[in-house]
Amino acid sequence: MFRFFFRKFNYLTGLFKTKKPPKHENSGETEGTDDLKFHRSLKRNLSLLKSTLGESCDLILREFSFGTEPEIYAALIFIDGLVDKAMINESILQPLLYDTRLAGVDQEFSLAGMKAISRRMLAAGEVKLTDKPDKAISHILAGDSLLLVDKDSQALIINLRGWKARSVEDPKTESVVRGPREGFTETLLTNTAMLRRKLKEPGLRIESFVIGKRTRTDVALVYLQEIVKPGLVEEIRQRLRRIDTDSILESGYIEEFIEDHPFSLFATIGNSEKPDTVAAKILEGRAAILIDGTPFVLTVPMLFIENFQSAEDYYSRPYFSSLVRMLRFLSFFISIMAPAVYVALNTFHQELLPTPLLITMASAHEGVPFPSVVEAIGMVVVFEILREAGIRLPRPVGQAISIVGALVIGEAAVSAGLVGAPMVIVVSLMAISSFVVPAQLDAGVVIRLILTVLAGFMGALGISIGLLFILIHLCSLSSFGYPYLSPLSPFSPGGLKDVFVRVPFWAMSKRPYRLSRHDGLRQKPDLMPLKASSKE
Amino acid sequence: MKKDNIAGISYPKLFFFLLLTLTLITLPGCWNRRELDTLAIVAGAAIDKIPGEEKIRITAQVINPSAMQSPQTGEMSAGAKEYVNFSETGTTVFEVARKITTFSSRKLYWPHNQVLILSEDICKHGISHWIDFFIRDHETRLRVKVLVSEGEARSILEKEAALEKLPAREIGEIVDGLASTSIAPQTTLRDFLCRMLEDSGAPVAPLISLKEKEGKKETQISGTAVFKRTRLVGTLDPFESRGFLFITGKVQSGIILIKCPGSEDLSSLEIINAGSETVPLIKDGKLSVTVKITEEGNLGCQMCGSDLTKPQTWQLLEEKQNKAILAEAMSSVKKAQELRADIFGFGEAFHRKYPLKWNGLKENWDEHFANLEVNIEVESHLRRSGQISLPPHHESRYYKENHL
Repeated sequence: MFRFFFRKFNYLTGLFKTKKPPKHENSGETEGTDDLKFHRSLKRNLSLLKSTLGESCDLILREFSFGTEPEIYAALIFIDGLVDKAMINESILQPLLYDTRLAGVDQEFSLAGMKAISRRMLAAGEVKLTDKPDKAISHILAGDSLLLVDKDSQALIINLRGWKARSVEDPKTESVVRGPREGFTETLLTNTAMLRRKLKEPGLRIESFVIGKRTRTDVALVYLQEIVKPGLVEEIRQRLRRIDTDSILESGYIEEFIEDHPFSLFATIGNSEKPDTVAAKILEGRAAILIDGTPFVLTVPMLFIENFQSAEDYYSRPYFSSLVRMLRFLSFFISIMAPAVYVALNTFHQELLPTPLLITMASAHEGVPFPSVVEAIGMVVVFEILREAGIRLPRPVGQAISIVGALVIGEAAVSAGLVGAPMVIVVSLMAISSFVVPAQLDAGVVIRLILTVLAGFMGALGISIGLLFILIHLCSLSSFGYPYLSPLSPFSPGGLKDVFVRVPFWAMSKRPYRLSRHDGLRQKPDLMPLKASSKE
Repeated sequence: MKKDNIAGISYPKLFFFLLLTLTLITLPGCWNRRELDTLAIVAGAAIDKIPGEEKIRITAQVINPSAMQSPQTGEMSAGAKEYVNFSETGTTVFEVARKITTFSSRKLYWPHNQVLILSEDICKHGISHWIDFFIRDHETRLRVKVLVSEGEARSILEKEAALEKLPAREIGEIVDGLASTSIAPQTTLRDFLCRMLEDSGAPVAPLISLKEKEGKKETQISGTAVFKRTRLVGTLDPFESRGFLFITGKVQSGIILIKCPGSEDLSSLEIINAGSETVPLIKDGKLSVTVKITEEGNLGCQMCGSDLTKPQTWQLLEEKQNKAILAEAMSSVKKAQELRADIFGFGEAFHRKYPLKWNGLKENWDEHFANLEVNIEVESHLRRSGQISLPPHHESRYYKENHL
């Protein structure tokens, strides 16, 4: 439906503009350097690099010579701040400057060229040979060091990256009482390492992509070869390769480029900050997309019920987890429906209320100058403003917001008679409930407003029409080809073990939701703990 | 992409979908948006007859929400009453209800009406055309409690409530409280209507009156009003009322007074459980009804000093209980036959058991009922004696008390 309007809109704007075929700015530039190779002359190579990278103050060009007879001229190029300088001194400069002179370099050595240097002289772990300047440049920009030697058209890319990075900390968005406390960081390699540590299987595949013409963001696609359905990985690869943009700064960019339903209110791609959560999802047959520069990792495909699952569900006892699971469903409904139901009861269905409750509500509404629907929408909007302000403001000022919010909205508005006290309670209840299912917070805000307006026009009928539309919409959604509402629709009884309740692990022998390949068996089917057998 | 679909939905499908949506919005019917502060919530209504005229006066007790605020949240508006009684006269109920809008700022809102009090006067003239509105209108509810007032109905609504804020609510609670005494039936408009429309229709309703007690007036349930079809024909006193409830199996609780075996002192027994079964019989053209009443009770209080829990005395108590229940039931049958009003629904019992013969019976059922042979069998038991078995004033105690 949205697609339809979007297309009409595009058509209208097209009327006023003459269409030009989209042209990428960078396309011409890269073509020129594509098949360019390093020259044998160091001077020419250096001037090529200088002209490409310009006079940046953080670009360091160290020219030196090593060996005694003949003396060989060389240059080391790296970006200040992206490399570990101590390591560069220790593993490149020191061996080349001192050790070659001490040992004496023979004729054979200099003829053998770069390979021999890397094999004999460099004390660095990761060294690559290249003769392509554009590849060399992108490596320099990513933090590698480049070693150029005179009279040689090969260059050495030496990985001695090292920069200031945030250490592994508690994830801010998904805190748990019981469970691992580490969260992903902004550095891609730290993140992949965290996943490796959880999944030590050789079948863990980490495929690398570079997306973004200008940001050249490293993106990693992680999955378990044996579990994931092959079609899914191919589909993700294709969608990732399709992205031809100039910048990827956060996982949200990628999410919007690859999702199935770009106009939907609901997120069809999951994200998490916790390695254990992501590892669990990979183990269920999903794939993870890690993006350099953000601790948020995307997981696909995403199902609607994932909104109601939390890592801790699997770490605490099944009874408690199941209860909390159901509470989350309840909270979700409260958070989207509470103001709407209150408005509907207040303006259409007074006969549905028990008499004493009606009297209480009537006396609270007495003297309130607005219709209930205006009152409700006003309060919901005020709450959203307060929430937004609370997040964005610097922390010391943020405290003031909660005081103003509590005092002005909670107390003053009621005693001034602008808002009824029950409305404050309803909105607070809605606000608290909305944080129980944080994954759908943004969808919830919109749905809530729509339902409240519908309730203001048509009462319970409006609410049911609204919910029906949402249900129809949810049924039509899919995530990378998987029905969004599964295992509820299409119904699969096996998947229900992890929806409204969380059954014990020994009862979940199969991976849920048919996401994985084969029969999805993940453990022996009869693992229920036995009673202590008689001692032999 | 082909142009004959939108987001994967083909045009005919989309049209059908939009049509369904449209019907969803338009078909469900009444659409009426009203804010709470535009409603005059009716808590109770009373209908009186204006003497000598074919006119009625309706009194609607309307809640005043601003006076209902609890003292913590809002300032009590000093002197404002929690309710307002609006009265207006006219010839039809609906007309009067609307006329009230001419002097009240808000429109009467009926769904929360607790009680409908009909004056004795109006009941004697037949009430079916006065309750028509309360059945027909979509706002009024059939669950409203129907009462008949001795004397003016309005004065009962006007009597200040003692514990509740609203008199109408207090009357409603009093009717609910009948479950613990069973001295009058609890009648909703629906019950009343059902009985009224039966072939042998004789509806009943609790009778409420203002009684003078120590200089103060109290509203009190004083028995049962007996209707024949739509007219009030008589009343049952509390004793007869409970007999009537025993026969119809509607006794929930209550106190039976009996004399202690071998003494003039009284004991009171609490009814815990009661039921009944009505078996109609036509034998050789003669009609008879057998009512089997079952009852279970506890010893609630004894005034005599003897040990009542001895098996022999316990049995005697049970027999006395049997007799007391039988006496209550018989008195109600006698009264009903005098009034020729089949309040027990015996006619319906015959109707169900002898559907073909009923056609011949219903023409002069009143006659048949008045001469009906009613056999009552009571089977009652005493189960427990409370937390003690011997009374504190047992004969064996060293002290003697002289009560009264």
